[in-house]
Amino acid sequence: MNRIALLGQPNSGKSTVFNQLTGSRQHVGNWPGKTVEKNEGSYSYNNEKYTVVDLPGSYGLSGNSDEEIITEKFIKGGNADLVCVLVDSSQLERSMYMLADFASMDVPAILILNMMDVAKVQGKTIDDGKLSERLGIPVLPFTAADGKGFDVLKELIARELKEPHRLISSPDTAAGDPDENASERLLSDGNAKYEWINGILEGITNKSQKDYVISGFDKILLKPFWGKIVTVLVILVGFIAAMLIMSPFMGIAGMLPKALGGPIANLLTGLHAHPWLVSVFSMIIPNTLFFCISMSAFVFGVNIIFGYLEEVGFLARAAYQFDGALSKLGLQGKAVAPLLMGMGCTIGGASGTRVMDNWGQKMLTMMVVWAVPCASIWSVIPVISGMFFPAWGTALVCVGIIIYIFILMFIVSKVFGNKLVPESARSGMIMELPPYHKAHWKYIIKEAWIKCFDMFKRALRTVTLVSILFWGFSFSPSGNVESSLLYKVGTFIEPVTKFFGMGWRTFMAFISAAFAKEAVLGTLNAVFAGQSNVADVAFNSGAGSVDTMELSNIMSETISGAEALAFMFACTFSVPCLMALSTTYKESHSLKWTVKTAGFYIGAALVLSCIVYHIALPFLG
Amino acid sequence: MKLSEMKAGGHGTISLLGKDERFLNRITSIGLTEGTPFQVVKNDRKMPVLVYARETLLALNRNDCEKIEVSEVMG
Repeated sequence: MNRIALLGQPNSGKSTVFNQLTGSRQHVGNWPGKTVEKNEGSYSYNNEKYTVVDLPGSYGLSGNSDEEIITEKFIKGGNADLVCVLVDSSQLERSMYMLADFASMDVPAILILNMMDVAKVQGKTIDDGKLSERLGIPVLPFTAADGKGFDVLKELIARELKEPHRLISSPDTAAGDPDENASERLLSDGNAKYEWINGILEGITNKSQKDYVISGFDKILLKPFWGKIVTVLVILVGFIAAMLIMSPFMGIAGMLPKALGGPIANLLTGLHAHPWLVSVFSMIIPNTLFFCISMSAFVFGVNIIFGYLEEVGFLARAAYQFDGALSKLGLQGKAVAPLLMGMGCTIGGASGTRVMDNWGQKMLTMMVVWAVPCASIWSVIPVISGMFFPAWGTALVCVGIIIYIFILMFIVSKVFGNKLVPESARSGMIMELPPYHKAHWKYIIKEAWIKCFDMFKRALRTVTLVSILFWGFSFSPSGNVESSLLYKVGTFIEPVTKFFGMGWRTFMAFISAAFAKEAVLGTLNAVFAGQSNVADVAFNSGAGSVDTMELSNIMSETISGAEALAFMFACTFSVPCLMALSTTYKESHSLKWTVKTAGFYIGAALVLSCIVYHIALPFLG
Repeated sequence: MKLSEMKAGGHGTISLLGKDERFLNRITSIGLTEGTPFQVVKNDRKMPVLVYARETLLALNRNDCEKIEVSEVMG
């Protein structure tokens, strides 16, 4: 069997090597009994199959977290025929720590000096031949992100599997005083490891131990106040760029419902299919396709922009900027990237939580990301608000929503923070700020494409299923909304929903908002004006086809301003969307916590709606 | 003195990292051990402290820096 494992600190480019080696032949699962993600993949080289395991991210092998325990056990258990240890060549001394930790395990290995391109820019040279001689294992200078050199790596791996090498040198960590306690032991071991590293690197690399000088852009970006402003501005520009990237896809997808709907209906009618089937296929299939393509395009755009910002080193600076604020939520600076992504798209934000150090932090970050209203809901709120309130009122509604984001984040961190990230396990930010470097566009686009395609596949399955459910609920034999199941259930539970501030119509729209925020206007149009079928609009951002003037007249006659206000708040802070839910499950690997998150958000949205309604009633009744 | 009290531009060596095992593991793996020389690059109020050590620019949470004892090196 040819089983190789990748080992390296975060930022060593480990996942880049994994993705480039295995391409799309990846399998994501769980490590037994744990919520830690197991990434396995394979590739073929010279007609032989190789399995690659991406060992969970950790800084060392000291058994500090589930991730580190898994990694240590995996290697010690002899599960890998060859371990590829990755280090960042631009920060060689520090990043060799992983190798020093690994050295105590007697397992065949090779050392990959990744990010040689960055090291070169810094004027760093590394004598890899001499290094290999001292370590006793092959050493390969490498730049994973440019995608070249993988044949050399594959050849080396094949050779080493036949004639493996093991480290001939290891840190002298046994030399401590036997009476030492755990913390003293850690300290002396740590020193021994760096002494070993320094000994190994002696005369092999040119040290640039000069003073660090803050570079031009960092002079602004690292300032306490202006840095934050610039960070937010860059992110906003990034979202505009993401919109530009996705707009052609959205445009094409937008033509689908019209282009496909008619022909499918004609074809099925021609085949004498039952009218029900005709309506299901001519409506649901094109709408689902449209919805899935435009949503994936959004995820694609957001991932390209954030992939770029990550790679050039910008997001590390953003983490530095917001560490203080995020500490108050039980999180740390690294959570800033998923939260910022969440401003565009909650799905992107949820999958962006991979950067977090451990599962608890990751889950808590995801829960907090849910509190950030995405771009879709911001496109809906002003329209609805405008139907009931003057411009200054709408501005107030938006300010109210923004204030509540922070309140909700605080509540989430108070309710779940201690459970997910116990006080004893809270760790402040300890991270390196990498030097700015050029982005490898090809790699960024490839990564974004993989994420977007995965999202598309999941969306297609889930959305089709839910569309059919919606269709069943809203089907009305007479064509009148009053004879649909939706109406019957809605009016039946109305006494309860009224208490929370929503009549049956707004409550149905509230429910559809938990599936897709784009659907809110369409659903309102269906339940208030009765002009279209709920199933038709649920996953079709029908805003374009909604006559907002007419809807506005009907809505303002039917419901009070207080109900509208309660509804807007409830919609914004409920479950973000079906795919955000699905992504949260995929990323957390925990059904229990996904259900908990959804339950909490629905409950909290109803309570919020209730409070807003009863406060606003005397004024807006 | 504490790391959080150092001024930007100052040099020092780490003298005490404390006894918390989780923290020790983490800080060691990123390059700081007792005796490691460093330069404080930036130290603004309420912000993480930026430290340059082992050719790496590190951002360290402010609360953590209050637990790190250092001795200043002149020059």
